[in-house]
Amino acid sequence: MSDTVLDKQVKTQKTRKRRVDPEIGVSLSWKTLKMQKQLIFMSVPIAIYLIIFNYAPIWGWLMAFQNYRPALSFGKQEWVGLQQFRFLFEDETFMMVLRNTVAMSFINLVLGTVTAIGLALLLNEIKVKFFKRIVQSISYLPHFLSWVIAAGIVATSLSIDDGIVNIVLMKLHLINEPIMWLSEGKYFWGIVGASNVWKEVGWGTIIYLAAITSIDPSLYEAASMDGAKRFQKMRYVTLPGIKATFVILLIMNIGHILDAGFELQYLLGNGLTVDWSQTIDIFVLKYGISMGNYSLATAAGIFKTIVSVVLVFIANYIAKRLGEERLV
Amino acid sequence: MHKTAKRSARALAAGVFALTLALTGCSSNNTSSNTASGGTASPAANGDDNAPVTFSVFMSGPGQQPTADNKILKLMKEKTGVSFNMEFLVGDLQQKLGVMIAGGDYPDIMSGDDKLINAKAYIPLEDLIEKYAPNLKKHYAAVWNQIKDESDGHIYVLPSYGVYQGKITEPTYQGPGFWLQKAVLEEMGYPTPKTLDEYFDIIAKYKEKHPDMIGFESLNFDWRVFPLQNAPEHLSGHPNDGAVIVDNNKAQIFADKDIAKTYYKKLNEINAQGLMDKEAFVQNYDQYLAKIASGKVIGMFDQHWNFQDGETSLISQGKIENTYIGFPLLYPGAEEWYRDRGAVGTNRGFGISINAKDPVRIIKFWDQMITEDWQKTIQWGIKGEDYEVKEDGTFYRTPEQRANADKTSWQVANKITTMHGYMPKIQGTYSDGNAADPGTQPQEFFDSLKPYDQKILKAYNKKSWSEFFKEPKENNIYFPAYSIVLKDGSAAQLAQSKLNDLQVKYLPKAIMASPAEFEGVWTDYVNQIHKLDIKAYEDRMNEGIQQRIKNWSVK
Repeated sequence: MSDTVLDKQVKTQKTRKRRVDPEIGVSLSWKTLKMQKQLIFMSVPIAIYLIIFNYAPIWGWLMAFQNYRPALSFGKQEWVGLQQFRFLFEDETFMMVLRNTVAMSFINLVLGTVTAIGLALLLNEIKVKFFKRIVQSISYLPHFLSWVIAAGIVATSLSIDDGIVNIVLMKLHLINEPIMWLSEGKYFWGIVGASNVWKEVGWGTIIYLAAITSIDPSLYEAASMDGAKRFQKMRYVTLPGIKATFVILLIMNIGHILDAGFELQYLLGNGLTVDWSQTIDIFVLKYGISMGNYSLATAAGIFKTIVSVVLVFIANYIAKRLGEERLV
Repeated sequence: MHKTAKRSARALAAGVFALTLALTGCSSNNTSSNTASGGTASPAANGDDNAPVTFSVFMSGPGQQPTADNKILKLMKEKTGVSFNMEFLVGDLQQKLGVMIAGGDYPDIMSGDDKLINAKAYIPLEDLIEKYAPNLKKHYAAVWNQIKDESDGHIYVLPSYGVYQGKITEPTYQGPGFWLQKAVLEEMGYPTPKTLDEYFDIIAKYKEKHPDMIGFESLNFDWRVFPLQNAPEHLSGHPNDGAVIVDNNKAQIFADKDIAKTYYKKLNEINAQGLMDKEAFVQNYDQYLAKIASGKVIGMFDQHWNFQDGETSLISQGKIENTYIGFPLLYPGAEEWYRDRGAVGTNRGFGISINAKDPVRIIKFWDQMITEDWQKTIQWGIKGEDYEVKEDGTFYRTPEQRANADKTSWQVANKITTMHGYMPKIQGTYSDGNAADPGTQPQEFFDSLKPYDQKILKAYNKKSWSEFFKEPKENNIYFPAYSIVLKDGSAAQLAQSKLNDLQVKYLPKAIMASPAEFEGVWTDYVNQIHKLDIKAYEDRMNEGIQQRIKNWSVK
């Protein structure tokens, strides 16, 4: 049976001249759709899943334009237009929170990428398999800790009595007396950045290491023939080799620029550092969900989504202009 | 004449019973048998209140299943014919409740829960109590209006805790206080500080001799911010009403008032002397407990239950001398009101589900259980076996009986601890002057203490920890004001939340500032508070207080 289908396909392909979309390189006729019906059939459940769980809930966005009260039916909700959004942007706390979110996210993005690529490059140079594996395991293990535990470890290391950070700095004579790291707002972003690097660097490295292994070894041989030294090989072979991976990850991460995180800031933040530690998610929890103001929470969520989508498209467009790999 | 009256009362009871059966649909598949039993054979109609019956019970907390031949349960079955099929919570409560509600699958008796109330899973109890339960009616008389559900005015759950009679003899004190380590008190010659100055003087002197110790500890984390925020209201002689003080039924916030400023200025001073723990305001709850458990903290202001896990750890480490005693410090001229009588735990206790086979029987059973004889049996045990009685009528236990009571294996065979926790109960003292249970009987409590604790109490010439505080006054009718519900998303709620944010931020700043800067930070803080819509918050509190005075008073 299947033979005949295949035969038919081959025949039609031979006899008909296909209209080919130059951009995506696939023909777009009704016939081809029919030909690929197995594939289409297989993707239907996924599409339904997405529609139910990722698109249908968008209906809930209407909440942002209401003064939503649970337990009231939809028709009875009070419509308030853009009042929730106005509250957000007029509240000075929200502007501060926005600043914190973007700043911490940016720090995480830059530090996270740079350290992950750096570690991947260094690990790639290590020829002793055993040592390489140990370093890799140690560096990605913290990824599996929950932030609750990780924040506990961070807080303990930064403590003024017997915190490892203060002990080391004292022994090195860099400071004269222990510093209360968590009591000063100006240190907070740095602590969050460093904690993120500590927890995620090994995990981020994995993907870059994978990209490095896929680089054609003949390129290295050619470089050696041309007299390239170690660092030159890194500079001219390895780095360009992982550029595509880097760009794709960057575009994806830019979409998350307003997700600076919730747990770490929530757990490490305190009254003294609140001006630097509060992120959008904490703000939403405090003034939205825990006060039963779901409309405000939704409005903040919409704001985040829109900003993210816009940023992703901008990043994608720039990548395209620069002739790089891109996401869409 | 008399006889007919009685019979018609029985007929009425039978009618009610049959109707309940029909309504709850327990045996509605056969109408003819229903009418038949309603007419003649109903146990209630026969007055046969002791026919064997088993009720299923769900309890919203984990617990130990009593043994099959449990002494108390056996006695209950003998005397009332009632036995129980107990189900304790395993796993997640919300999940369990969700399944119960979705299936409408309720046992006869369920512990109180707002979710179940909203799902209309309980039957209203007030008529049943009026009709069949004179003892319960008497027990709850003083709080009758208070235990009604706020939404529709029915009583769905019989509160298990907070209804006191006689004297409150609770020997351990769980409320707020300024705490000091026993070892400190011992070394300083058993002082009794009465003012902030005296208190911090003790800390200063002790820390001078033991520089490794942490002077004064506090906490400003998550929702556990009361160690930092609540002290001024107690110092000025107010009970724990949360963020407001109430004078003459009028509530106002105290965060910006002088009673607050005086306290934080004092903390600012002691911080400058190096007595305040530097990390107090950056640590989380676990770190706070760890510090207490290390035995290095000299004193703090807190509610006892909030740091008790740290004390438990100290005791298990054998460092009983590092546990704490609380003191009611006061501003000059203020009258002490640290201890309070606790509010009635509305909606926490037992209710009867809409599926219950025989609500009348259940309410009659509870009515019997609230009598003093039964309460003594449940809380103390059997006379001569679990406790002894002195010639003057005082209950006590022998060391052997005490040791028994501590053993889990003994408990599951001789007590119904968990279920009793949810049942209506007598707290305080019985009419013969004995305390409700061994744990609250003063002499009995004293005798069960470790020798070190006995030594300390003797030095202070006291018998229990709560004696360091005055007997609680009668609660104000609206007490506690902090449980007044603020409407979600209201201006009052927003103001409360913003006020809390300001306190969390500015109080540590004010305390840690150099003494010269304190005034500046404080002014800044007060100005920020006055920018908020505090009036909305205070108005809502006063409205709530007036509502409670109107609705809760029992005339």
